[in-house]
Amino acid sequence: MIEFDHVTRTYGPKPAVTDLSLSIPRGELFALLGPNGAGKTTTIKMLVGLLRPSRGAVRICGYDLTKEARSAHLHTGYVPDEPTLYDKLTGREFLWFIADMFGMPRHMATQKIGREIEHFELAEFCDDLTESYSLGMKQRLVFAAALLHDPDVLVLDEPMVGLDPRSVRIVKDLLRTRTQEGMTVFMSTHTLAMAEEMADRVGIMVRGQLRFLGTIAELRDHMALETTNLENLYLELTTAGPDAS
Amino acid sequence: MTGTSWWGRSGRGPQSESCRLLSVDAESRVFSRLRATIAWETLRFMLSGARLRLVLVVLLSAVFWGSLYTLFIEGFSFLESIHAEVISLLFNAFFSSLMIMLVFSTAILLYGNMYCSTEAKLLLTLPVRAEAIFAHKFHEAMWFSSWGFILLGSPMLVAYGVVRGSPWTYYLLLLPFMVSFVVIPATLGAICCMAAVAWLGSLRMHALAILGVVLCAGAAWLGWSLFGSSPAAGGTTEWFEQVLARLSIAEQKFLPSWWLSSGLLDAAQNSTRPETQFASLLEAVKFLAVLVSNGMLLQLLARWLARSCYRQGYSQLVGEMPARRQRRIAWADEVLSAAGTARGRPLRLLLVKDLRLFRRDIAQWSQFVIFFGLLGLYFFNLRVFNYNVAYASMISFLNLAVAGLILSTFTTRFVYPMISLEGRRFWILGLLPVHRDQILWSKFLFSFLGGVVPCCALLYLSDSMLGISNSLIWVHEICCVVLCMGLSGIAVGLGARMPDLRESSPAKIAAGFGGTLCLVLSSLFIMAVVVIAATPTHLAMATRAFGGGGPPPSGILGWASGPQGTAASLLLVGFLGVIATFLPLELGLRAFRRLEP
Repeated sequence: MIEFDHVTRTYGPKPAVTDLSLSIPRGELFALLGPNGAGKTTTIKMLVGLLRPSRGAVRICGYDLTKEARSAHLHTGYVPDEPTLYDKLTGREFLWFIADMFGMPRHMATQKIGREIEHFELAEFCDDLTESYSLGMKQRLVFAAALLHDPDVLVLDEPMVGLDPRSVRIVKDLLRTRTQEGMTVFMSTHTLAMAEEMADRVGIMVRGQLRFLGTIAELRDHMALETTNLENLYLELTTAGPDAS
Repeated sequence: MTGTSWWGRSGRGPQSESCRLLSVDAESRVFSRLRATIAWETLRFMLSGARLRLVLVVLLSAVFWGSLYTLFIEGFSFLESIHAEVISLLFNAFFSSLMIMLVFSTAILLYGNMYCSTEAKLLLTLPVRAEAIFAHKFHEAMWFSSWGFILLGSPMLVAYGVVRGSPWTYYLLLLPFMVSFVVIPATLGAICCMAAVAWLGSLRMHALAILGVVLCAGAAWLGWSLFGSSPAAGGTTEWFEQVLARLSIAEQKFLPSWWLSSGLLDAAQNSTRPETQFASLLEAVKFLAVLVSNGMLLQLLARWLARSCYRQGYSQLVGEMPARRQRRIAWADEVLSAAGTARGRPLRLLLVKDLRLFRRDIAQWSQFVIFFGLLGLYFFNLRVFNYNVAYASMISFLNLAVAGLILSTFTTRFVYPMISLEGRRFWILGLLPVHRDQILWSKFLFSFLGGVVPCCALLYLSDSMLGISNSLIWVHEICCVVLCMGLSGIAVGLGARMPDLRESSPAKIAAGFGGTLCLVLSSLFIMAVVVIAATPTHLAMATRAFGGGGPPPSGILGWASGPQGTAASLLLVGFLGVIATFLPLELGLRAFRRLEP
């Protein structure tokens, strides 16, 4: 469903992501972890088509993001780290704009907008201009917009920032349900507890390279440490030298 | 799994039957709906929440339009009586200069809208064509860069039609001519912008800098050759003819400005013979067709360019190495921080902080340099003309008002929002061992000192070029200091009294009710100061002019037009300055002490 094929991306002479090869099948929730500056954001930007790889290819549902960006985007939902909305649109108008952009028929759009308003409990404020929303309200609306067209792939960049505990629970439940239905989730996060609780597999990036790829249990085996605490494992892996993996 | 596609190329996700890729027309319709909704919401907001601003904008635009129309009626009537062919030359010069400005303004606006905005980031992750995003952003940029042309050009062209007694078809063709013309430079700007980002890469800033230097040098050369190097005395017929001869450089048949000028002149022809009238109309329509077809061709080219290189250019720009330049502390900052007593140090440190922010914000200092630079250029060129004493004095007071008005736009746009923005970062300043009053006083000092130096220098330049007497120069300089104090007091005081702590954009804060009120009060204050200061001088001139060389007038008229009158007017100006400075500041200080962010 998601495929990074020997992807390298440089910023000037400095490599941000080096020779990343990764394949994520249908229905998997994948969490990308790593310290600041590890290359997570660059990876996400390549996955949503904002950045092009210097070498290699990124594919979603078989569509190359560089050559067939529109087809790939049709299958993708994206929740950025900072919610981007139109100040002078209401939440409902924004959802209609997204539905129109994805070419959804009117009756289906009406039904799905209603469904997402209910899921994310937007009814109380979705007819107000988004300029009056708090960060959490904006984030919930962006989630609703990203899931509106039932994407095959959902890309999340630090998804829980700004959400209150109830919204976090809504999102977690929704991700579980949707992945069971076949949606693939690619999530970048600093919240280790979230990754431990939700992810089928994790990838840990350090200085642009994927230092570990596997399940949490495999990580524990891999590190061969006495501790089973993910935080300790993560810190051990990300602060160790390049040959630690 | 690495290296092989898990999901077949022909396959589609089980959940994606509900959506499809849009056609070109459908994408265009969605964007049109988006723009219409945003425009309607903005209008609704202005009608309900920003009525004062809307009324002011409409009123001032109407006054501006009406004044220009009257001016152009007078100008065209004069030119028609002496040199009818001069109008073609003026049209060509006006439209060609405007064309260059439109190319640059659209290119700059599109650069911001297509490559640096959060909206572009959102749109590029949606299944929409790159050329559709370009077209959407182009609409916005073209409107923003050309509304000035419509506001400035329409009174001129309507006035020309009225003076020529043009047929109704001329007025009917005005809008199509203007719109079709604007599309050409705007599209050229868009092409330059996309090509520069895609192909020049990180060299684009160097290329732009070189282009900027070349253009400035070109403009300076043109300005000098038109107004400076003329051997004839300024304002004479000979001088005017020399200037016009040099302006003929703008009459080039390959330029869209020539097509526009020629089309408009043909459309404006007023003939009693129907066949001649019809032939002129046909000629005008032919020029309109040339403009439209060229505009469409350029649009095709721009859309092809957007399709080929917008996403690539965006990726290239996002992927550029973020600049990590070490900012060295300027010596002036160090001197300012260290000089003076220990008690005043917090105030000085706050000043240094604002100074650094100003230096590093290109939007602030570039506008400051451009506006005051243009004012300086205008003042410098005043020496070309020979004025009589009364006229020179009137211009000098008008120049005082212009300097004040420009300063007031800066205090409203940059100083007024400072408190609101500071309020958002209040957790920094709020925890420092600094009295809140000092924060406000530092803003006032920053604004006052930043304004008083260039304004006083520019007014001195203006007065020197006009040959004004020393005593009047002193009057102007005192008024200028009072204006800078008052304008700073109004902006800082109102900014603290009416902060907008939710908004992060200084432009939006300045555009709100408080910002509009600040601009209105500033304008009233400037008018009051200039009128009070100018009254004694002009009263003296009027009494001399109408007195016929007799004895000076006695009584109140004599007192008001003498040195006592000047002293009294300065006292009144000073009093007004104190009120304008300290009343809003006191209100602002009280509100700022109670501020709970």
